Amino acid sequence: MIINVENLKKTYKSYERGNTLGEAVKSLFIRKTKLVEAVKGISFSIDKGELVGFLGPNGAGKSTTLKVLTGILFPTSGKVDILGYTPWKDRKKYVAHIGAVFGQKSQLLWDIPPLDAFNLNKAIYSIPDREFNKKLNLMVELLEVQNIVKKPTRLLSLGERMKCEFIMAMLHSPEIVFLDEPTIGLDVIAKEKIREFILEMNKQGVTFILTTHDLGDIEQLAKRVIVINHGEMIFDDTIEALKSHLGNKKLVSISTQDPLPVLEISGVSVKNKLSDYNAELELDANIMELNRFIDYINKNSTIKDMTLQELPIEEVIKKLYTI
Amino acid sequence: MIDAVKLHLQGIKSALAVRMAYRADFFISILIMLVVEAFVPLVTYLVYKNGASLPGWNMYEALLVQGVFLLSKGISFPFFFGMVWNTIYRVQEGTFDLLLIKPRSVLQMIIVTGFDSEDLGKLLGGIVLFSVSLAHVPFPSLDLWLKFAVLFFVSLVVMFGFGLILSGLGIVWIGNYRVYEIFTSISNFGMYPANIFSKAVVTFITAVIPVAMLGYIPASQLLGRPAEGTLIAVISSIIFLIVSLLFWKAMFRRYNSAGG
Repeated sequence: MIINVENLKKTYKSYERGNTLGEAVKSLFIRKTKLVEAVKGISFSIDKGELVGFLGPNGAGKSTTLKVLTGILFPTSGKVDILGYTPWKDRKKYVAHIGAVFGQKSQLLWDIPPLDAFNLNKAIYSIPDREFNKKLNLMVELLEVQNIVKKPTRLLSLGERMKCEFIMAMLHSPEIVFLDEPTIGLDVIAKEKIREFILEMNKQGVTFILTTHDLGDIEQLAKRVIVINHGEMIFDDTIEALKSHLGNKKLVSISTQDPLPVLEISGVSVKNKLSDYNAELELDANIMELNRFIDYINKNSTIKDMTLQELPIEEVIKKLYTI
Repeated sequence: MIDAVKLHLQGIKSALAVRMAYRADFFISILIMLVVEAFVPLVTYLVYKNGASLPGWNMYEALLVQGVFLLSKGISFPFFFGMVWNTIYRVQEGTFDLLLIKPRSVLQMIIVTGFDSEDLGKLLGGIVLFSVSLAHVPFPSLDLWLKFAVLFFVSLVVMFGFGLILSGLGIVWIGNYRVYEIFTSISNFGMYPANIFSKAVVTFITAVIPVAMLGYIPASQLLGRPAEGTLIAVISSIIFLIVSLLFWKAMFRRYNSAGG
């Protein structure tokens, strides 16, 4: 186990300013303070080589948790042990072993080529020349950015920049890498390349913690998912367990020869009634078994075509967030 | 130590590369900086040319005080004072966090990534003004040069203290670039011979906030007539640095616990 978090809590003091001019002027002199419990006692542990997805709606406490884990923030209470360090106490020593990619905060330097920014990181982490060149060449090849690293960053596309952000974060061979929405705004091809890169690095033993709103990232990368909502951990298991978390639900698309019978029955909910003969339904197989459902339809009509799908992860997450 | 120097050099190299990306802007900025900084010495020149003077100081002696002041700014502004704008900008943009995930002291990172090449214009102006003034006063002995070197170093210590205070304020006063005006209004007292001020002001600029150390005290030393209260000013400069450092750390702790 390389990450161990016990009962982590973080409470912020926030100020209410109001939205009218009068309230804004008043807030210059008297400010109402409000305590915000961003994280309310989270505990989990992560083993070396895991690739864990961190999910949660905006304001759930994901970023705060990530900031504590990267040593940026002091928690209000709780214990965090990562690679034997307490991030906020041993920050300087600890961060030498971690990397981070923030989809919305660039570590590159806008007007000069990524290569110059890599060289700055080389000096910051005191990476020896040979090791630096070896690692750089390897990653440049893996991400196919040979012709890009010498161009000014401002001339690069978002996808190209993000690939360089990954190089920047991994030049010092970190053991753990924190990714905060690393594929935000990227096209399908760039996303695919970055996901391949993450998987390759993970194969080589790097532990990844990934926060994202892109469930494609989660489905393709994470084996384990932690869901946070309202500052509390509401789920921690495999992606398969996540899919079946809300019951054995299927998405059914059905076409019949005769008009469909009444569908407002227990275990079935109509998602989209396209016509009297076609409909998309959500079937809870724990309440209405599949063969009973087929019998019911066939008894009242005749099935012409039917497709059955797992409930998309988006649906599962949406339901989980509203719990 | 060598490691830290290497890092600073790399920081300077990167910052210069960034500025060189727009060459015309780089040279124009340096020129503007030079012109802006020449304003006070120009006024001093005009005052003397019109028959007025600062009591007890001839024109080149007065210009020497301003030359030392500009030299002190010329070294501190490009090499470490950029920490002020860097902090304000990064805290406002949310990229201050990126410095905290580097295995270096945050203060070092703000300085390294805050090298301000435009301010090399101040250094250039300082060298010119200092050299021209020096050429018109009796050349100082080695002993005076050594004492001057020590006091000049202390002037950089005071500048560093100011940088820390303004950077610390930048952490908590989000996006407030006005903090610089606090520095300008106080530090300008160091540009003139202290004997033109009242006793209370002299005490304030030597013993409380030692801005007299930025120009007047080292220049007086170089001219061979050490300013009254030099030792007190040196001690208060060191105290000023310690207090500034504690202040910066306190502000940084606030950031750590609040998340910016």
